[in-house]
Amino acid sequence: MTDRDDLIAAVRDALRNVIDPELGHNIVDLGFVYDIAIDGDVAHITMTATTPGCPAASFLKEGVASSAMQVEGIGSADVTMTFDPPWRPAMIAPEVKAELGFAELN
Amino acid sequence: MGGNLCKWTISYFAAALAWLIAAEVLMVAGFGFPSADIAAPDTLVLVHMICLGWLSMAMCGALFQFVPVLVSRPLHAEGWILPAFVLLSAGLIALLAGFLALGGRMPPWLWLLPFGATLLIAGFALVAANLGLTLWQSRPLPASARFVALGLLAVCATMAFGGIFALALFEPAPGSLVSSVLASAVPIHAIAGLAGWLTVTAIGVSYRLLSMFMLAPDVDAGKSRLVWLFSAFMLGAAVIGGAVAVLVGQGLDLALMLSAACGLATLACYARDVAELYRKRKRRKLELNTRMVVWSFASLGAAVALGAVLAITGSLAAHVGALVFLIVFGWLSGLILANLYKIVPFLTWLETYGPVMGKAPTPRVHDLVAERRATKWFVMFFAASWAATALLMLGQPLGFRIAIAVIVVATFGILQELIRARRLTDVAAPLRLPAGALAPRLLITRT
Ligand code: HEM
Repeated sequence: MTDRDDLIAAVRDALRNVIDPELGHNIVDLGFVYDIAIDGDVAHITMTATTPGCPAASFLKEGVASSAMQVEGIGSADVTMTFDPPWRPAMIAPEVKAELGFAELN
Repeated sequence: MGGNLCKWTISYFAAALAWLIAAEVLMVAGFGFPSADIAAPDTLVLVHMICLGWLSMAMCGALFQFVPVLVSRPLHAEGWILPAFVLLSAGLIALLAGFLALGGRMPPWLWLLPFGATLLIAGFALVAANLGLTLWQSRPLPASARFVALGLLAVCATMAFGGIFALALFEPAPGSLVSSVLASAVPIHAIAGLAGWLTVTAIGVSYRLLSMFMLAPDVDAGKSRLVWLFSAFMLGAAVIGGAVAVLVGQGLDLALMLSAACGLATLACYARDVAELYRKRKRRKLELNTRMVVWSFASLGAAVALGAVLAITGSLAAHVGALVFLIVFGWLSGLILANLYKIVPFLTWLETYGPVMGKAPTPRVHDLVAERRATKWFVMFFAASWAATALLMLGQPLGFRIAIAVIVVATFGILQELIRARRLTDVAAPLRLPAGALAPRLLITRT
């Protein structure tokens, strides 16, 4: 593990503080976080949400930025919201999926 | 920050609920139909308290929040929402006073009718322009937004007829065009309002909301377009066909039959799409709102069946009051109440916890509500609405008033649940107000 991998893992952990209010789970386990890259002390995060235009999406984005910046070694966060590819329930971590009562195989 | 929340949506909801409860209490007291005639001024007071005060205000409040979600674009003019609220509220109060004057319960100030109508028309013009421009700037429109556009056209038609009626009642001129419109066009006004504006808009919004809340794949655009086309024909047949029939002095029967046929086709296709949304949902466990909405769909289906039986047996005229009651309470009011139970906690969550997300642990939306406790109020509401419909048909005015009394209790129960959600009463202490979070105010969203 390089320092950078450690930092990425730390950012990912910090993002678990952000929950999707509707589904009630953190956005990492829900599969909303598509990519985390570190460039110097800047975290570049690519994420999604269930519905474009949903008023929750902008709060999620801000929440992601503020929790990433709480990680030591991160000076600023650059969060990109994308709907390509769109989020699918298949992206949810298996344990959480069962708990949410999602139909299997989708 | 949080620029996506509409400041006044909750205020519209609160005013709407106040009108609903006021109308229900009057009904329990025996005011208006069925004690009075269905076209009596007292009945018109009730009808407009419910159609304008409750259903239309709630719908407007929801649209200010949802049209931006449907088209992923901010509202054209946030600043028009409060003036519209003032115009609509003042206009409704003046119109109701005008109806009371018409019925001799007030001095004969019939000018209140066109005065109230003018304020209402101005208010709805602001609403329709605001939402319409938002839609216009977002073309090509997604499927659900097209229904909203159609609903906005329908509300304009409803208002236009209402305005003409108000003039005709203010200055009766037998034989004039305005008077003949009043004499014959009331069904057009009612269909444009209840079917065109409220039902078509609800259908459109429900496509999006159901797929959002149940994580179901969107209904195929071709399918929902068919529903849209049928509803456009339904509205066109009633409003344009009906207006032509009135102008040439013919009866409305042909236009209304055409409209009813298109309405049936609309609902048949819509039922198929809703069934698909429920079947294909990824979120298997339904929440209270999506469970209760099923009952409002059932009420709509029952209303269609009832309407068909009444039409075939030639007893529609005798029972139109019961039919309209079922549509207004079982379908539209039930649908809106069930959705308020979802929307109010959700907006409250965003308002309170959105700004601190990522900085402090937050509860879930689900923590703001107590579904088990709330379920009984909804069960009461629907059961009493159906009982009230049956009692109307059986000609039992006292039984009807008792059923409405149960509806009042149920409405207060639901209202209390909504207030608890706004006050975060059910959120456990450590998560309730994390550092940096501000408690929401009851009636206005902090943005
Ligand atoms: C500018 C706003 C409106 C005005 C001035 C208005 C005015 C009127 C008037 C004067 C009548 C009575 C006609 C008669 O003498 O028989 C009437 C009937 C009716 N209106 Fe409205 N209206 C307005 C909006 C609405 C809306 C938005 C709805 C529904 C969503 C609605 C639903 C009805 C219904 C169902 C009736 C028939 C009531 C009955 O015969 O008991 N109105 N309206």
